[in-house]
Amino acid sequence: MTDTAVATPRRRNVLTSRIKGLARRSPTAAVGFAIVGLFALGGIFAPLITPYDPVHSFPREILVDPGSTFWFGTDGNGMDIFSRVIFGARYAFAIAVPAVLLSLVIGVPLGLWVGYVGGALDEVTMRVLDALRVFPSIILALAVVAAAGPSVLNVVLVIGVLDSPIFARVVRAEVLALRSSTMVEAAKAAGNPTWRIVMVHLLPNAIQGAMAQSAVRAAWAIRISAALAFLGVGIQVPTPEWGVMIRQGAEFMVTGQWWVALFPGVALMILMLGLNMLGDGMQDLLNPRRRG
Amino acid sequence: MKIRRFLTRRLTFIIPLLVGIVFFTFMLVRLGGQDPVEMLAGPTATQGQIDRIEQELGLDQPLLTQFGIYLMNVAQGDLGKSWISTRPVLDDILARLPVTLELLFLGIGLGALVGIPAGMRGAAHPNGWFDQIARAISLLGFSIPTYWLGLVLLFVFFYLLGWAPPGIGRISMMVIPPPTVTGSYLVDSIIAGDWEATRSALGHLVLPVVSIAIISAAPIIKQTRAIAVEIYSGDAVRYAKACGLPDRQVRKIVMRNATVPILTFVGTEITGLVGTASLIEFVFAWGGLGQYGLNAIVNGDFAAVQGYVLALALFSVVVFLVVDLLVVLLEPRNVDAT
Repeated sequence: MTDTAVATPRRRNVLTSRIKGLARRSPTAAVGFAIVGLFALGGIFAPLITPYDPVHSFPREILVDPGSTFWFGTDGNGMDIFSRVIFGARYAFAIAVPAVLLSLVIGVPLGLWVGYVGGALDEVTMRVLDALRVFPSIILALAVVAAAGPSVLNVVLVIGVLDSPIFARVVRAEVLALRSSTMVEAAKAAGNPTWRIVMVHLLPNAIQGAMAQSAVRAAWAIRISAALAFLGVGIQVPTPEWGVMIRQGAEFMVTGQWWVALFPGVALMILMLGLNMLGDGMQDLLNPRRRG
Repeated sequence: MKIRRFLTRRLTFIIPLLVGIVFFTFMLVRLGGQDPVEMLAGPTATQGQIDRIEQELGLDQPLLTQFGIYLMNVAQGDLGKSWISTRPVLDDILARLPVTLELLFLGIGLGALVGIPAGMRGAAHPNGWFDQIARAISLLGFSIPTYWLGLVLLFVFFYLLGWAPPGIGRISMMVIPPPTVTGSYLVDSIIAGDWEATRSALGHLVLPVVSIAIISAAPIIKQTRAIAVEIYSGDAVRYAKACGLPDRQVRKIVMRNATVPILTFVGTEITGLVGTASLIEFVFAWGGLGQYGLNAIVNGDFAAVQGYVLALALFSVVVFLVVDLLVVLLEPRNVDAT
């Protein structure tokens, strides 16, 4: 977005004016950015905000209603749900950020390569990626994590790899459109080597679409990892992760202790809403025609 | 005959695709995860007993030989036996398929019934009040965790209001299920003329179907709107408007032009929603193919996982084929493009 803020007054003015500009051009993106930022801050400063340790159990305070002592109540183990929900943001980002980075690292070069080389290589790669689409990603992720064993690292690797074709597709489409452009022709005529054309002329133009996708893909990564935890594969009890917490609260939904599953679900929903708004807003900014 | 040539070309592509998918899951399931021999033999088994079980199951053969044997069996309609249900996998799958299809198609049908008109109407007046609301709802639908939505609906409509039945199974335990014809309790009880069973089956369908409808409507609204906006800004509409056609006629033109892309999109949505529907089945203890597959994967039930994956792949292939065929029938000029 902008350069990292340096604490000189001049710099800060640039930053605030850019944020204002973003808010004017795409309110959706600005609201999404604010929500995601809030969750990121909550995750970073979780130990300062939360009143209790997220995995400390109070044996006499099991399934307490939300109230002044426990804002969101306690779960079946007597753990404070408010503290657990706040700490849950850490797991969401700890999975989404590396997973999306991994997808970018795999997908962008792949898209550049097959898009620029074209021909049989392109055809075969795209057919393989098409074949993978036959499966819903949650099923694929579930199968791989069940086989590889439940751990945060495995969840990140699986989601990162499974999502990389999306970036490959976006970048490839851009490269195909640019490959025969006058710009590339001129660069070739000027005697640029292939690597320079790809890296200097194609990459900066093609990567925009991939970057705009990344927020939506982060939402997807959080969604899948939470679903895996909910199914009991992936991250395990009593980790304060939202999917795990919803799993713990599922049985209480039909006996009336709604708070156990409700609050982590709301947190998950709001963060995904923020990421989706940010992603939609960025795509609109890049492609003005879509604004209609 | 162009359509016949189109079909043969597509069908020849399917066989290698299926073999590839079977190979992929076979290796995935065999190389990682739980060892079935250990699970069958128990902790006190001697090495001799373990070897005997391995031999019985054919697991002492090289992997590629195992794959060859499996492929031959599949070609003859034998998908092996499930460790858990101890029944042939094919029987398990055939019994559960209609249960899942009923849920899936009712859910997506409802989602499309709401989503397509909402998207079209939004696109007619971009950024108008209706469009804003439809987009907000769509964003919300993208963000709700599926299984959580099911749980919240259960809490509100079962626990609080008492309108819905508990989220266990497809029909009340007090009601005798109708004789099996199609496998769907709703259809079967209507055929049998058993109104009590029909009411119970319908009541159990409402919450899971609504959950799937809400989740599936979100992308349908978004995509329909995007497709329709594109068409509204195209030449066909500009010409129609220049000719002075009334709005109703213009809408018809947009509708006609949007049919094919919307159909293609909903087709791809159906296969994507199989995963979502599995989670809903899990929450409502639906007992369909989705729940069967999830259980098989979590418990390392080899034969069942492979059978499930094969069924999923076949289902996707059939859906894509039907969609493509419909597209060709609607717009014959596309035969060579696809």
